[in-house]
Amino acid sequence: MARKRSSAGRLTRRSFIQRLTFFGGGVVLLGSTACKRPAEEPAQAAAAPPPVENSPHATFTGLELATMAAACERILPRDEDPGARDANVPAYIDRILQTPELKQMKADFLQGLAALERRSRSMFKKGFVEATPEQQDELLTIFKDSGEGTGEGHFYEILVVLTLEGFLGDPSYGGNKDRVGWRLVGFDTVGTVAMAPPEGYDGPKCLRECGDHR
Amino acid sequence: MTKDAVDICIIGSGAGGAPMALELGRAGFKVVVLEKGAHYKPKDFVHDEILNSRRNFFMPLPWEEPHLWRQGSSGRYERTNSAWTANCVGGGTVHMSGYFYRLKPVDFRLRSTLGEVKGANLADWPISYEEFAPFYDKAEAELGVSGEARPHPFAEPRSGPYPLPPLDVHPIAKEIDRVCGEMKWNSLTTARGIISKPYRGRSACSYCALCGSYGCEMGAKSGTNASVIPAALATGNVELRPKCMARSIEVDKEGRARSVVYLDADGVEQEQPAKVIVVSCTAVESARLLLNSTSSRFPKGLANGSGLVGRNLMFSSFGESRATFRISKQKASRPWLTAPDPFVNRSIQDFYLMPDERFGFRKGGTLGFMWTHPNPIFAAVGLAGSGKEGVFGKELKDRMRAYRDSRILQFEVYGEFLATPGTYVTVEPGVKDKYGIPVAAITMDRHPKDFAATRFLVERGEEVLARLDPDDIERVGVAGETTILQHGTCRFGKDPATSVLDKDCRAHEVPNLYVVDGSFMPSAGSVPSTLTIAANSFRVASQLVRKLKKG
Ligand SMILES: Cc1cc2nc3c(=O)[nH]c(=O)nc-3n(C[C@H](O)[C@H](O)[C@H](O)COP(=O)(O)OP(=O)(O)OC[C@H]3O[C@@H](n4cnc5c(N)ncnc54)[C@H](O)[C@@H]3O)c2cc1C
Ligand code: SF4
Repeated sequence: MARKRSSAGRLTRRSFIQRLTFFGGGVVLLGSTACKRPAEEPAQAAAAPPPVENSPHATFTGLELATMAAACERILPRDEDPGARDANVPAYIDRILQTPELKQMKADFLQGLAALERRSRSMFKKGFVEATPEQQDELLTIFKDSGEGTGEGHFYEILVVLTLEGFLGDPSYGGNKDRVGWRLVGFDTVGTVAMAPPEGYDGPKCLRECGDHR
Repeated sequence: MTKDAVDICIIGSGAGGAPMALELGRAGFKVVVLEKGAHYKPKDFVHDEILNSRRNFFMPLPWEEPHLWRQGSSGRYERTNSAWTANCVGGGTVHMSGYFYRLKPVDFRLRSTLGEVKGANLADWPISYEEFAPFYDKAEAELGVSGEARPHPFAEPRSGPYPLPPLDVHPIAKEIDRVCGEMKWNSLTTARGIISKPYRGRSACSYCALCGSYGCEMGAKSGTNASVIPAALATGNVELRPKCMARSIEVDKEGRARSVVYLDADGVEQEQPAKVIVVSCTAVESARLLLNSTSSRFPKGLANGSGLVGRNLMFSSFGESRATFRISKQKASRPWLTAPDPFVNRSIQDFYLMPDERFGFRKGGTLGFMWTHPNPIFAAVGLAGSGKEGVFGKELKDRMRAYRDSRILQFEVYGEFLATPGTYVTVEPGVKDKYGIPVAAITMDRHPKDFAATRFLVERGEEVLARLDPDDIERVGVAGETTILQHGTCRFGKDPATSVLDKDCRAHEVPNLYVVDGSFMPSAGSVPSTLTIAANSFRVASQLVRKLKKG
């Protein structure tokens, strides 16, 4: 799944993000992964695909979901503070990848997950879910370090970004359960009152209805 | 379908487009504003980081509407979403931070001040600061700007105080004042396009902290969506058409602009004829629109017989460092550290222009101090890093816990960005956006003096940070560019051989075509430019109204 990318004169990810962060706020950080999108994919009608067969989940099969959840938990493991599972990050990722605009990201993510599973079987003779936490970390580190131009590196990047979105995003998207993520980074105290959306706010609905410029 | 002709058709409703609509509407002319984005209302602006900052609520997704970016003319293009501002009614002024500075007199005569600079394409403005200043007054009053003028060596002359008193600031601002005083530098109040008191029916800022990169649900941020557009609509002469994407400007046999062809909200092609056409899509996107508007009369793009449309692109040179204060360590000596006030609003302009070349440059810029943005996902993605330096697991969580124990003060540099022959916008016919329109392609070749200046400014900013006794100082970068500040692609000037627009921002080659975003600026100044764009638009509008009334 390695993607060919030009190297000469390419901006590093850092300088790319740097250009996006001015005036504070990290405008559309999604861009760093989005950028790797292959050329000219025909625009698809905005209908969300039906749930995967034999799976109660929106995006993943049961095994995929378990693999993804295990990987998220290694990114943010439970210790004295809650981890990715405690915050319902897997549910967030399962749902958010239904966003029509993230179709390519979903395909990349599923491909990456399959690669992670294959690599686990070849290295440890067992699936990622059954591997020990140390083995899981070893694998994720390989993916992390495999470089910007690689599919593995790309998958790792999406995994981290989506895990952090699920951990620290508005709870109406299904993650950040009981605001555990916000509490971990102090978002509940830094600024003030008025920082979070009002009670009853429905982020996913806004994303569907007004966060769409067509 | 061809619509009924109107007096003026304006493309884009942001800092440049909106003031034109207001002034022409007030003068009784029939105006249509075409805006590619949606018309959000204050209730649409909620503090949801995913919606506002990480999806296409404001900015297009790079795979639907990419910009191309390359380093040097032999570099390979990369798709990016940089160099976009918000696409909605109000444009980039909706989610801006509202740092509202004026240019200085020297910015209007940079060429005569610096002389010939090798490798740079400098030009003086065809007007002076003094001619321009009344329109700064006007823009500050119409939009609503809070500030306080403090004297300093590069202070630009003002006719009076700001329309509104300065916003409340965090106690750290006093510390910055103190250490600047120790160094004999001038700590200035950063003027903001945010109203500190109720103003013209708008309510004051509630200091909610999520400001830049969000819309303001109070209507206190002085985006044109909250100020100028409602006033324009109230004239009864302005029709705003959101979700209408201009594709090209058509010309008649005499080479006058005849109409704008656009795709409406349903994707249906429409044609809007007008006596005068005003373009204000941002400097990058306006160049793209003109370059895509080819005809037998203008085979290289509208108003581009000179080949200058898209040339002389300038952003703003960027550098940044951060100082971290650990709350647990500093709380005893600085109990005010955790005060919730979101604003710092301090700037330093002592290095705006250096007396000589001792440090490798003369034109420097501005340092603006602020707390880092509290967006938690954005912050955590930064903490996770990437590649070999990236971390996950316990290490990442430890960093997140340390972040909770921190207040992080940063400065941004707004440095001079000299125009060079190698930095420009073209269109790439082979790469199209979701509308099927060829996209803008940006080629970068920065001038070395700007890097010297930016590094110098970062070092000065770090001296300030260091004197504040933080627990840690981290340099973020010294060689970036702020691509949301865009200028120069249709320079104004006296000579049609060296400029696209005349002194009134009318195209030399097309007598009823105006461009009023940052494109006109022959030098970008070393401050964020939105107030200047709005002021210029008020200036152009006043000339145009006068001209149209004469017939
Ligand atoms: C996150 C952020 C923070 C910022 N903070 C500051 C700040 O603190 N201080 C400052 O001075 N500046 C700031 N800026 C920059 C500021 O937004 C711009 O300088 C300013 O908006 C430029 O004005 P403009 O008229 O050129 O473009 P805009 O205000 O962006 O308006 C252009 C409009 O044209 C529309 N448009 C484009 N193409 C078409 C088309 N083909 N058809 C129809 N409509 C079209 C767009 O949708 C948009 O609404 C910030 C920008 C961003 C993104
Ligand atoms: S209330 Fe004040 S701080 Fe909040 S978004 Fe509006 S202007 Fe910014």
